Amino acid sequence: MSFVPGQPVTAVVERIEIQKLRHENNLILGFSIGGGIDQDPGQNPYSEDKADKGIYVTRITPKGPADDAGLKVGDKIMQVNGWDMTMVTHDQARKKLTKKREDVVRLLVTRKALEKVVKQSMTTYPGPQCSGMTN
Amino acid sequence: MFCRNQTTRATVARGSALEMEIRRGKFRKSLFLDKSQDSDIQKKIDHEIRMRDGACKLLAACSQRDQALEAAKSLQTCSTRIMAYMSELQRMKEAQVMQNVPRRASDAGPMDDRLPCKGKVAISDLRIPLMWKDTEYFKNKGELHRCAVFCLLQLGGEIFDTDMVIVDRTLTDICFDNTIIFNEAGPGFELRVELYSCCSEDDYSAGSTPRKLASKLSSSLGRSAGKKLRAAMEPGPCSPVSNGGGAPLLLPVPSVPGPKYHLLAHTTLSLSHVQDSFRTHDLTISGNEECSYWLPLYGSMCCRLAAQPHCMTQQVMSGCLKVKQCGGDPQSWTKVYAILKGTSLFCYHRQEDVEANVEPAFTIGINKETRIRAEKDPHSKVQNICISNQYGGEEVTHTLTTESREDTHRWMEAFWQHFYDMSKWRQCCDDLMKIQLPSPRKPTPVTPKQGSLYHEMVIESSDDLSSSVSDILARRMRELELRSQLGTSPTWMSVFEEDSTKGSGFPRQCSSRLSGLSPCTPHRVSRSPMSAHRCPQPGLLSSDASLTSDSDSHCSTSPCSHHQGWPEPSSNFSLSSSSPSRLRPRTLSLDAKLSTLRGRGYGGKGTFQCACQPPPSSLLAPLPVSSRSPQSQRSTQTTLSCSSSTSSNSSSNSEGSHSPESSEGVPFSRPSPARRSLRNIRARLDPRNWLQSQV
Repeated sequence: MSFVPGQPVTAVVERIEIQKLRHENNLILGFSIGGGIDQDPGQNPYSEDKADKGIYVTRITPKGPADDAGLKVGDKIMQVNGWDMTMVTHDQARKKLTKKREDVVRLLVTRKALEKVVKQSMTTYPGPQCSGMTN
Repeated sequence: MFCRNQTTRATVARGSALEMEIRRGKFRKSLFLDKSQDSDIQKKIDHEIRMRDGACKLLAACSQRDQALEAAKSLQTCSTRIMAYMSELQRMKEAQVMQNVPRRASDAGPMDDRLPCKGKVAISDLRIPLMWKDTEYFKNKGELHRCAVFCLLQLGGEIFDTDMVIVDRTLTDICFDNTIIFNEAGPGFELRVELYSCCSEDDYSAGSTPRKLASKLSSSLGRSAGKKLRAAMEPGPCSPVSNGGGAPLLLPVPSVPGPKYHLLAHTTLSLSHVQDSFRTHDLTISGNEECSYWLPLYGSMCCRLAAQPHCMTQQVMSGCLKVKQCGGDPQSWTKVYAILKGTSLFCYHRQEDVEANVEPAFTIGINKETRIRAEKDPHSKVQNICISNQYGGEEVTHTLTTESREDTHRWMEAFWQHFYDMSKWRQCCDDLMKIQLPSPRKPTPVTPKQGSLYHEMVIESSDDLSSSVSDILARRMRELELRSQLGTSPTWMSVFEEDSTKGSGFPRQCSSRLSGLSPCTPHRVSRSPMSAHRCPQPGLLSSDASLTSDSDSHCSTSPCSHHQGWPEPSSNFSLSSSSPSRLRPRTLSLDAKLSTLRGRGYGGKGTFQCACQPPPSSLLAPLPVSSRSPQSQRSTQTTLSCSSSTSSNSSSNSEGSHSPESSEGVPFSRPSPARRSLRNIRARLDPRNWLQSQV
């Protein structure tokens, strides 16, 4: 999950849709996030690249909405409802997740395990086809 | 006077025998000439027709969507090329017919029209930004509206296409990585860029159903609308070909079942757009939102258009000269071998130096500011060429002389031509623009899709995946345990080693500890989620401090941060938790591990508090360590932590013990909740924190 600033990021992502739970006039998702461009990335225990200032999931409440949706601790959140999470401050990220008007958040998350699985399955596929007509 | 095999211009009386004879002669000659040029084009046309037939056959035969799209693209390109060749053929025939008509003297233009030199034009790094609405993201969850796009680039008679790119709403730009080089382009070139797109629905069957619909639509429309549609479906911008003597009549596109590309946008670039850097150009978009092949284009296109005129890259003139700098004594002529190329006249001592790549003796600049004139040498009868340049206010003049008058004439002619070229190619002659030749080897793309911010593979989250992932991970862990003697640990283990990556105050031991502790994976894995949300622990907190209750001490609501990175008491915690759980069977699901261990962890916590004080050996004994090194590491940790029981580590012990989340109100007894909240407050104020927020 390392990246070069300024270059497009490629990652294998999983789509996770979390239905917010209504609890006493609050909408809770059931997980904690850490990170952000205003935070010290060296203290992130989940990031592979210690310069990664992305938003990571640091805790999941068991049986909470996030847990049911399949979010895992250590996941890096790339997008929330279409909003980018790779270059946001911690507070911006929190705000995008806790919008009162939204009942559901759709996340794009990435984790190392996904990449592993995809790589393993990709090795059995044939390579991409190229056209013979271009010149 | 009149010679059969030389073209001359003269006024010939119409209807005269001479004229008829000439005409006949020219006809025969032109026919002969036609063949050589015609046959060239004819060969090209035949080649393209064959390619097109092949593409049609492939299109009819292929079943996969990708193949069909590629074949349709080739078909489009071939058709466009055929149209271009046909129109060129037509133009040539027309020109010949025009030439055969005798002209009056008054119609004759100047014979020696200078023609500017040709050049290479290269376009690269095409990028077309898209403008999706945010509603697009969630319109059809799981189903992506895809379009296949490619660009056709046409300059003169050369038509090239780029690779095909599949575009869906996760892409923000359409990027074409190809570099297309057009050789033999004049300065007045017009490079036409066309963007073709074709809708690529997943359930599209390369069969008759969509075509029926399309034909129904086109037939049900009004005459003008239908004509417009048909014109939109027509490939290429070429003018319709009229049947010029002997050329085969071709229908624009043979109707083939399969995906059809439509023109989405186009633009024309010319010399004024040439620059040695990226520029944005406007696109003219055809089509509207109702079309199936519609893409929300931003309306502009970025690319790098560079041109290398031949006068900059090739030698214009070369020969032996004698050069004298003005102001020197009249007899100090230097014999040089001079080459006129680009913006300078390179003067070498000998001709062999050129091949030997030796630096020229000196260089005379030839650019737009240079003035060249021929003047008679006062001392001899020959004509000299004087080249004057302005070097920062000073005028420096070099005088050249040659062996003979013809040489002087030739050099002057070369200079004139060079200046003409420079005036025609304008900004391209200021400096040589770099054109990167596309590498002959196409690098295999690592990702099958191109140019998107996120390479996405939609995995429907289901229990199967998580269990399979856990399977794979568990298998790997087992393998690693067997290999633990080597002390190697895959990088991804760090995901589960988070608490061992950092140590407050023991950074040196971090890396070795990581590798050492990896074999005892089950415990680590189970531990990680809990210690993930560790509470902060300022260094000097006394373990006896009493703090406020859970409500504001849990990491969830307050920005849970930690002091100096993740503390290392994870090892301590692991000791306590691992002792009761040593004989626990290894489960594959991470969630299961999570729940079981958490329960155990809480239970073990009570004992842990006092376990901190006793000597480390007792804690270490029940641990199923498979290698020596981690044991020693851990013991060191424990020793250090125990010895500083009143310092941060003890607080971190308790901190580690109640690391499990509490925000959701899951009740469990924490030994020192008050301590935690005070730590929170202090940690929040500490600038070196890593915030965590509960959402």
